[in-house]
Amino acid sequence: MTTITQDNKSPFSSKFLQFYKDRTLLAILLSLFAVMFVYGIFFTDNYLTITNFKAIIRDAALYGIMAIGLTFVTLSGNFFLLSLKETASICGVTFAMGMATGFGSPDLVGNFLVSLLAALSVGVLSGVIQGYFVGMGGNPIVVTLGGAGILYGIGAWWSDNLVINFKRPHDAEWLGTGSFLGLPSITLAFILIAIAAELVLRHTNFGRKVYLVGANKAAGRATGHENFSMAIIVFTICSVCCAFVAVAFVAQMDSAQSNYFSAEFGSSGDMTILVIATVMVGGNSIMGGYGSTLRTSLGAIFIAMVDNMMVLQGFNSGPRIVGVGLMIVFSIIVFGLFAKGSRAQE
Amino acid sequence: MENFFKKVTKDVDLSFAILLSFCVYVFFSLNIEIFFSHNISFAILERFAVLGLVGLALTICIIAGEIDLSIGSNAALCAVIVVKLTDPLGAPFAMLIGLSVSTLIGAIQGFVIAFIRIRAIVITVGTLMLLRGVALLIAEEKTVMLTDFRVPDFITTKVLMYFSPASLTVIFIFICVGIFMRYTKYGREIYAIGGARKEALTAGIPLRRPMVIAFALSGFCAGFAGTVIGLKSGTAQGLGLQYLLLAGTVAAFVGGVSILGGKGGVLGAAIGALTVNFLNTGLVFYALQVHFVQLFTSVLLVIVIVFQTMSRVFDSRQSRKSLLATIDERKTTLLEKKRTVLGK
Repeated sequence: MTTITQDNKSPFSSKFLQFYKDRTLLAILLSLFAVMFVYGIFFTDNYLTITNFKAIIRDAALYGIMAIGLTFVTLSGNFFLLSLKETASICGVTFAMGMATGFGSPDLVGNFLVSLLAALSVGVLSGVIQGYFVGMGGNPIVVTLGGAGILYGIGAWWSDNLVINFKRPHDAEWLGTGSFLGLPSITLAFILIAIAAELVLRHTNFGRKVYLVGANKAAGRATGHENFSMAIIVFTICSVCCAFVAVAFVAQMDSAQSNYFSAEFGSSGDMTILVIATVMVGGNSIMGGYGSTLRTSLGAIFIAMVDNMMVLQGFNSGPRIVGVGLMIVFSIIVFGLFAKGSRAQE
Repeated sequence: MENFFKKVTKDVDLSFAILLSFCVYVFFSLNIEIFFSHNISFAILERFAVLGLVGLALTICIIAGEIDLSIGSNAALCAVIVVKLTDPLGAPFAMLIGLSVSTLIGAIQGFVIAFIRIRAIVITVGTLMLLRGVALLIAEEKTVMLTDFRVPDFITTKVLMYFSPASLTVIFIFICVGIFMRYTKYGREIYAIGGARKEALTAGIPLRRPMVIAFALSGFCAGFAGTVIGLKSGTAQGLGLQYLLLAGTVAAFVGGVSILGGKGGVLGAAIGALTVNFLNTGLVFYALQVHFVQLFTSVLLVIVIVFQTMSRVFDSRQSRKSLLATIDERKTTLLEKKRTVLGK
């Protein structure tokens, strides 16, 4: 090995080799993963078709929107919420209640706008309350763990743990199963939300504040940007994204239940963990201050691509969950090793 | 003086936990006639065998200043392994394999956390999903079942009126871990890196050893909880046992740990787990659905968290006030000195 580095006098290749020597295992794993991915792309039947690609983006859209909301929380240094699926489920139950019973008044039955507003306001409420406790100095993980139980309990209590159905034709069809310009409307919403979030983070005052508070809480406090208001705002953004996804999902299914987003959602087990995985696989720093929503969107599409490939290859849910889990652990270790020695380690 | 103050605050936490558990117990005893009886005490201790261990696992992690989210998956994996291997190999050998797998997973997590220096929540979210997938893979996406039910029968036999082999073992583990945390160098290192990490590292404590020990212990406890659940019911699922995280967190926080680390102990964990058990057992008599139990447990957690956070905010405000007061005092004395000097 030493002879090779001595032979290569040119700075670039020696640097490259040095990098390779420093992180041999990492480089081998990365290349192995790349080879497997390319192999999968070309040797999976029906993978490289436009219909399949549309299906992938459609899959990615549901947890991608929630992940974009979560990216704000992560960037601002508040780790993540463990109550994502519970927030979504209580908002879904609210929306379905509005569509099916009109909250008790017969005039409002099937009124899309009222149901949507009710669902969104439930999301705002849960976000503000959890953000308040986190801003006061509570640990985000523990607060949202408690919040998850409470939200799920209230949702199940309200709906009696039954499936709430509403009949088809209803006003929300365009959101659930409709499509514009050949794209499903949820996909379009994903693209629009991704662009809007990126613009907000890059080009507004608020976006830069998020980065500042996330990168250095003490500096933020010294310049008058307390984590208190920031936590409330980012938690609200995240919860509203959850509410939107819940509304779209319920509109697609024409029904809602309090554990719709719980175990075995899609293919990868748990919606909450899947969304957190998306943020991490995209390579955002969990300590805050580094990352973007673009990375998150790409992470969502990447996870959907790998998952779709494994489905087409005929894997069961066990290997697929292992695949996503490996991707998270792998990306954490890779980004952790890259960030070693820099500010990112506290 | 400072030592004395520390002791008092520690006792305050513990006495708060004891008071809370006493209140819950008395409430249910007054409302339910048969709650204060031998059989119910036996049932509570049976539940304690599971929840106490999970609470202990989380307590150790939180004392080290980190939180382990993968406890439910670790327990499920261990349960699947033990239940699957009990038929061909016999229970003791299956338990040995399952527990060593869980302990090893915990140790690897601790090593990775200390080596890369990332927060534990980051890596344990990944392992939560990974271990769940592995458990599903080992169980082949089915519910694994025992065919020979002598082991579950043995585990739940009554000994000495209140105990069973399972709960006796768990109490023994509690005593061992308590002695380890209190009276050995390695246990005190865990407290040190939790309470004041920078100071501990500067004082020459290695980060790697206490982290590996703490997470290996918590992995062992989680695995043992999974084993008890699996062998008691005779079944195990890859996707099960996720509720353990919430219950264990509540037990740990009621027991008086602080999220900042370095506080709390094994006795607190036991009392916290008993409180949650009183609540769960008492709610059974009201014939409520499962989600109500989850709701009340979460409310308990939020109450404890709010109490802790508010007391921290109050403390910091008080110390700031006293600091400002001393500054004012010094200012006035300085001014007086100046005046007297000028007057002369």
